[in-house]
Amino acid sequence: MPGDFSASEIIRRVTSPEPDVRMPPADGPKALDQKQIELLKTWIKNGAEYQTHWAFKPVTEPVVPTTGSSDWPRNEIDHFVFARLLDKQLKPASEANRETLIRRVAFDLTGLPPTIDEVDEYLADQSDQAYEQMLDRYLQSPAYGEHMARHWLDLARYADTNGYQYDTEREQWVWRDWVIDAYNRNMPFDQFTIEQLAGDLLPNATAQQRLATGFNRNHGITIEGGIIDEEYRTEYVMDRVITTGGVWMGLTVGCARCHDHKYDPISQHEFYQLYSFFNQVPERGMRGFTPSETIPSPLVGYRLQELESKLLKLQTELDNPVDIDSYLDTWTEQIANSPVGGWKVLIPETLKSSGGSTLTQLDDHSILAGGANPRQDIYDIGSRTDAVDITAIRLEALTHDSLPNNGPGRHSNSNFVLSEFELTAVSVVDNSKIQTVKFARAISDYEQVNYEVARAINGTVANNDGWAVDGPTRKEPATAIFVAEKPFGFSGGTLLRFRLRHEAGFATHGIGRARLSVTTDQERNLRFKGIPDEIRLIAATEITARSVDDAAKLRDYFIEHHDPQSDLKQRIKEIEQQLTTAFPATMIMQDMPQLRKTHVLHRGQYNEPTDEVSAGIPAVFPSMPKSAAANRLGFAEWLVAPEHPLTARVAVNRYWQRLFGIGLVKTSEDFGVQGSHPSHPDLLDWLATEFIRSGWDVKHIQRLMMTSATYRQTSRVGAAEYQADPENQWLARGPRMRLDGEEIRDAALLASGLIVNQLGGKSVYPYQPVGLWMELNNRPGYSKEYPQGSGDDLYRRSIYTFWKRTVPSPMLKILDAPEREFCTIRRSRTNTPSQALVLLNSVQFVEAARHLGERMMKYDALRLEDKLTFGFRLVTARKPTELEMEAIMEAFESERLKLAASPQTALKILQVGESEFDSTLDQSQLAAFATIARLYLNLDEAITKE
Amino acid sequence: MNNPIQQSQLLQTRRHFFGRSCTGIGVAALASLMNESLPAHANPVPDVVSQLSQFAPKAKRVIYLLQSGAPSQVDLFDYKPTLNKLDRTELPDSIRQGQRLTGMTAGQKNFTVVKSPWKFQQHGQSGTWLSELLPHMSNVVDDICVIRSMHTEAINHDPAITFFQSGNQQPGRPSIGAWLSYGLGSETQDLPSFVVLLTKNTFHQAQPLYDRLWGSGFLPSKFQGVKFRSQGDPVLYLNDPTGRSSSDRRAMLDRLEKLNRMHEEAIGDPEISSRIAQYEMAYRMQTSVPELADTSDEPASTFELYGEYAKQPGSHAANCLLARRLAERGVRFIQVFHRGWDHHSNVQKYLPTLAKETDQGSAGLIQDLKQRGMLDETLVIWAGEFGRTVYSQGNPDTFGRDHHPRCFSIWMAGGGIKPGISYGQTDDYCYNIAENPVHVHDFHATLLHCLGINHEQLTYRFQGRDFRLTDVHGKVVSEILS
Repeated sequence: MPGDFSASEIIRRVTSPEPDVRMPPADGPKALDQKQIELLKTWIKNGAEYQTHWAFKPVTEPVVPTTGSSDWPRNEIDHFVFARLLDKQLKPASEANRETLIRRVAFDLTGLPPTIDEVDEYLADQSDQAYEQMLDRYLQSPAYGEHMARHWLDLARYADTNGYQYDTEREQWVWRDWVIDAYNRNMPFDQFTIEQLAGDLLPNATAQQRLATGFNRNHGITIEGGIIDEEYRTEYVMDRVITTGGVWMGLTVGCARCHDHKYDPISQHEFYQLYSFFNQVPERGMRGFTPSETIPSPLVGYRLQELESKLLKLQTELDNPVDIDSYLDTWTEQIANSPVGGWKVLIPETLKSSGGSTLTQLDDHSILAGGANPRQDIYDIGSRTDAVDITAIRLEALTHDSLPNNGPGRHSNSNFVLSEFELTAVSVVDNSKIQTVKFARAISDYEQVNYEVARAINGTVANNDGWAVDGPTRKEPATAIFVAEKPFGFSGGTLLRFRLRHEAGFATHGIGRARLSVTTDQERNLRFKGIPDEIRLIAATEITARSVDDAAKLRDYFIEHHDPQSDLKQRIKEIEQQLTTAFPATMIMQDMPQLRKTHVLHRGQYNEPTDEVSAGIPAVFPSMPKSAAANRLGFAEWLVAPEHPLTARVAVNRYWQRLFGIGLVKTSEDFGVQGSHPSHPDLLDWLATEFIRSGWDVKHIQRLMMTSATYRQTSRVGAAEYQADPENQWLARGPRMRLDGEEIRDAALLASGLIVNQLGGKSVYPYQPVGLWMELNNRPGYSKEYPQGSGDDLYRRSIYTFWKRTVPSPMLKILDAPEREFCTIRRSRTNTPSQALVLLNSVQFVEAARHLGERMMKYDALRLEDKLTFGFRLVTARKPTELEMEAIMEAFESERLKLAASPQTALKILQVGESEFDSTLDQSQLAAFATIARLYLNLDEAITKE
Repeated sequence: MNNPIQQSQLLQTRRHFFGRSCTGIGVAALASLMNESLPAHANPVPDVVSQLSQFAPKAKRVIYLLQSGAPSQVDLFDYKPTLNKLDRTELPDSIRQGQRLTGMTAGQKNFTVVKSPWKFQQHGQSGTWLSELLPHMSNVVDDICVIRSMHTEAINHDPAITFFQSGNQQPGRPSIGAWLSYGLGSETQDLPSFVVLLTKNTFHQAQPLYDRLWGSGFLPSKFQGVKFRSQGDPVLYLNDPTGRSSSDRRAMLDRLEKLNRMHEEAIGDPEISSRIAQYEMAYRMQTSVPELADTSDEPASTFELYGEYAKQPGSHAANCLLARRLAERGVRFIQVFHRGWDHHSNVQKYLPTLAKETDQGSAGLIQDLKQRGMLDETLVIWAGEFGRTVYSQGNPDTFGRDHHPRCFSIWMAGGGIKPGISYGQTDDYCYNIAENPVHVHDFHATLLHCLGINHEQLTYRFQGRDFRLTDVHGKVVSEILS
């Protein structure tokens, strides 16, 4: 009833005194107040014109407002902002000083503070273009890609583990490298979109384009024993639809999973049409780790080239002719002079099984396992030897007719998985002399693919990491040799304690019959069977006394077993191995040749399919381009078609959010009807059109925002301004906000000089308090301690920190990082006591402070004040005020005095963290500098973009 | 914290907004006031409204003893004499009703009923039935309410425990404790409002835990649970670095404040004041946490109650005692995670160990709270994520029990809960619910009710939707309220 609200059903409903009629219910949370009802009446009076929600309308380029004579605006953005400021009777703040600006720009483009050289260069540059040139330098920095990618990883719910239950590990980092590289190459956003969503479907898709599709395989994947496959496969598809809808369209499409969207024009039917695009992957719910493909990282691909050229060199070397006879003579002499050598079988003295198996010694001193067959088992075997200079251990996994199928393993399929082979040597004479024997390498005469013997000495028992021998198909004995890093054995006898750990995920996979031997032979002479006596005998015979036959036998044996080029061949084999394992397989997208049917799922339940639907686009949007296929590729092309109302708006809004703290649309994750209205609708649309016009040029749009006068305003505006507009929605001042956790850590690493800049590669394990992984999960075979790294790995940028979904880095988590179990478009930014504790007390920050202190102390200046200023600048980019310096000096003096009186304390302070301190420096002074550095790193300003 | 007026105002303020009495105002408003994108300092505490909720809160805080892995109801709480006859018979289809099973027993040919090998007896005035595996709990049956008709939707651990903790099977929603921190705020300035205690696990096949179980989901991350640990620093990063004393600590904070104040004067951003305040709270935690974690000041009678185990840090009993100490100091939501109830084989071997690990500590906690007059205002909960099948997984002689979401038992006690009752009935097979089903959403609604919160009103706007712990479900189980 346009014009007449008295006849309106709506008005009748919202005003009715009858509780059953009134809507929304008067006692409910959404009851309307009088003002809202009046507004409805006015709307009806005025014709009740229904408008499409702003975000679903096409983007049209708005006219840039003219803002009179003001010389404040630097580009179009400022005209829009200025017009709004005028509306609100506000004035822009003055431009921030140069130190503030360069620090702001450096953080916004690289996630790192500026170096002092960079600051000085900018301060000295008097040209008109100084600011722009400074900004461009950061845009070109490789750190730019890392910083941009880091944000993208939150959206892409990237992690290094599978989430769910045991949260096992995955290697998806090659995809992460792709993102860094794409940003550094300034890949246009439309291409960035298409390749990630549908790179596999592009005509003649390259490996890198297929790699890009890892985006939609980053969701969690379960391995929980009892799950129902389809239930989880359904969740994976849901996750893709919801993530894609949120990231590119800022829509909460997931609301339409169970019923028509309550607010936005997306029906349940349409939701499943979108779902159909992502429902075609040939995957499973349980352990759904395929499809996957081994593709090199675009960042560390050069390592492949390094390996390949090394390989070429070795192969050339291999082609060189060899004088066999001279090698033969040397070798013959060797074995002739050490006729004992070869393998000496050990006689077990103690046998223990952790799982309750019965271990019996047979006549040949092999150990037969029988009786109970536990899921997991550790054989503890004690033996004694008089040998010194033991070079290697041989482990024979023999067969026996009491074992399943007369094979080598205890499992019904004859296989075994030896998770880890460990050895402790104890001196018989003095049992306080204990040595954990480390093995340099392991070789075997047979190993199953992906279960190489090297996995039995790699220090991990997680998952199914161990040596196996294809028991199901091969019922043969197998032999392994473990070569010690250094010869070992105590004079006077050595007690050898072996631990054969069977802790893989596969149950009852123990070795059936094991025999252990030792040798003192040199590594190059090691053979699985040892040198036969016959050959030794020939070798021991004078050369002149050898028969022709014997000489030939000796020569043949030598060539077969002791090829002088074996080292070379071994190295070639190793490099070939490295080449194949340099990059793990990355999970990628694929569509099945035969499409999977998609149904509407009643209440969103996997087991309640109803109507069949075909892939399609919700009716509220422009339809797919005619040329587009009805698949993911068509969908991706549709997203970046210029007429799409959301994609560009949503993307530029996120860039804005990063710079200014909140987006022009505050709810950057929701552009729907329930989301917030843009603070500057015209500016948003202008930026969206400019983005498309520029060819979706990401750096261009960021540069535009960052060269605006709006961005360049100071944030030093006084308390009243902050109170008037706490969120800085109207932009009457520059942005000021706490940095993200990763930035805070990286900034401390940079200021301290500890940072290791290396693009891409496997994730690393920096400092973390002990026990966090095991206290949540200590199930043998499915758990491990956090494998904290050392050296460089402690100081890489935080984007490379191993991300375990069920226990993320506690430091980052406390600083508001999400778990990454699902897509996060906007992190919260909180202020908590835990954050104070991390910055004050964690090893990472305390160690960084120590090195920052060292940098100050070594800074080439006579005056203490200059040294302290240097450190302050490293953290804040500015010089301290006189008052601040006074306080700092006072603090330094009092620390110096105190620490001089207590050198022990000073030493303790300098020993936090793995890295060394410079021992040529005075320790008390250094500790005093470290104390001041710790103070600096805890300043509010240190963790804030100003 | 020691000012009762202030304390009650603090409670009433937020509760007013989330309670039934706030018709027409506040909820959405407060939710948006507290929106995460606001700088932290801009979370205003709304003016105290003197009007009380229509229902006064009975409980001020919760101690939740979570039993991960799913304890066997039929061997602990749900006495089924009928099983004596049905033992070793096949579970009839009429009972199983074709409902889905886990991947672990779905392929099993036989579903042989195995009765509980343990004796049950009635205890207390209430005559509550309990298994002989819980001798200490038998002393407190008159203080607890056993719910025997719980049911849930998920049939595997990860989705089920996630559902129990957050009202949704998939990750992403805030945990109960995060909802309460958000809804009720803190009662103490020295400690976090939501504390998590992990018991050291002894069972080799225990299910893991995940950070999300005490996570804040889409709520601001400051509402996440803070772990108190039995190894290393009691709270992450709590201890001063090597070589720093507590006087250094004070000096550091004083210098920091001095410099931060100078900077605030120059800038004007009140966030800096807030930072200073957080550093001060961290400082107070550095004193208060070690003090509360150190139970050496407890008299011998305490350890008689909780048992000798309570002297071993990280044991369930020690955590129960710690939970009481936290409760005394104003922590709002304390959750103790005990793992190891997932017995797919050898129930007879494993269950007694687990029962023993939890029995005395749980009973001791109830008695202790009662003696101190705290039980009335503390809601205590003991619950796993689902139950276990009456039929045997694997060989009936060495039987295991598979996951069973269709019925299971939990108990609640203290603030707001009727003591000495058993609620709900299962059928003769302990397989289906016969009377008064209580869904997990209902449990959540009831829990919130005890704290004076209407579960339909505690909402947070995220992605355009006003989310609730109870989603769009949940009914307060008024029959068990005192």
